[in-house]
Amino acid sequence: MSKLVAWVAQYGVVIVFANVFVEQVGIPVPALPTLIVAGSLVRAGSLSFLALLGAAVAASLIVDTAWYFLGRRYGHRILRTLCKVSLSPDSCVRQTESIFEKWGMASVVAARFITGFSTVAPPLAGAMGARLPVFLFYDSLGTTLWAGTGLILGFVFHRTIADVLGFLEGLGTGAVYLLGAALALFVLFKWWQRRRFYKTLRMARIGVEELRALFEKGEKPVVFDVRGPGERQHDPRRIPGAMTMEMTELDARLPGIAPEVEIVLYCT
Amino acid sequence: MLIERGYKKVRPLAGGLEAWIDAGYDVEVFEIAS
Repeated sequence: MSKLVAWVAQYGVVIVFANVFVEQVGIPVPALPTLIVAGSLVRAGSLSFLALLGAAVAASLIVDTAWYFLGRRYGHRILRTLCKVSLSPDSCVRQTESIFEKWGMASVVAARFITGFSTVAPPLAGAMGARLPVFLFYDSLGTTLWAGTGLILGFVFHRTIADVLGFLEGLGTGAVYLLGAALALFVLFKWWQRRRFYKTLRMARIGVEELRALFEKGEKPVVFDVRGPGERQHDPRRIPGAMTMEMTELDARLPGIAPEVEIVLYCT
Repeated sequence: MLIERGYKKVRPLAGGLEAWIDAGYDVEVFEIAS
């Protein structure tokens, strides 16, 4: 057995626990590749499937329960904070909320398989008033299916994974640099993408003072409240005269508005 | 989506509803169907 494989075999359960924990906190270090490698070592008899699955579920439940309580305590505020790390904060809140409204607690199960949504779903469940035992049931189910899938993939494709591990072993310490550089490049790309998006957004936005000045000057911009129904119910306040707008009713609502009219949209 | 439909002056509100409320400006309340 190579040194790298021996090291993963020795600390596999701890590595899986730590990786799932870190990913659920919101740090972009994907745990699925780790689960797949660990799954290949189950086939080799070096690791226990149940121990790995238990580690993944335990790590996920610890972090997700904390997120759930933060969602219950701070409502949509915590969701907005989490969504600030996404590429599109406004649409992030609205989209995650509409997924939850459409699928209910089943979305917590599906969330495990959707990048970005897996961290947002637990606080959203808390903010939407889901009961703790129900949340824990669906969260455990989702994590079991997700982690189980990763482990089984590794189990099935163990030969290919052994080849990759052998290649990395051949690189020696170069493998660590290679993996580190790939991760750094990934994080750097996401950061640059978000920075560019925010720059565009800042240039296009209208400030509250400017909107207020438009009202005072007698100009009448059309103001749309594009929050989801759940969030409007949670906080029914609106800017005076603002109308609700669902994306599905866009074409039905627009004919009454002239193209030269200024339109202001707001979320939370 | 609005710009694709020919609306040129479309702007999101910086800070959203929260910034409007924090600035102390008036708000209305939606009537929520029970």
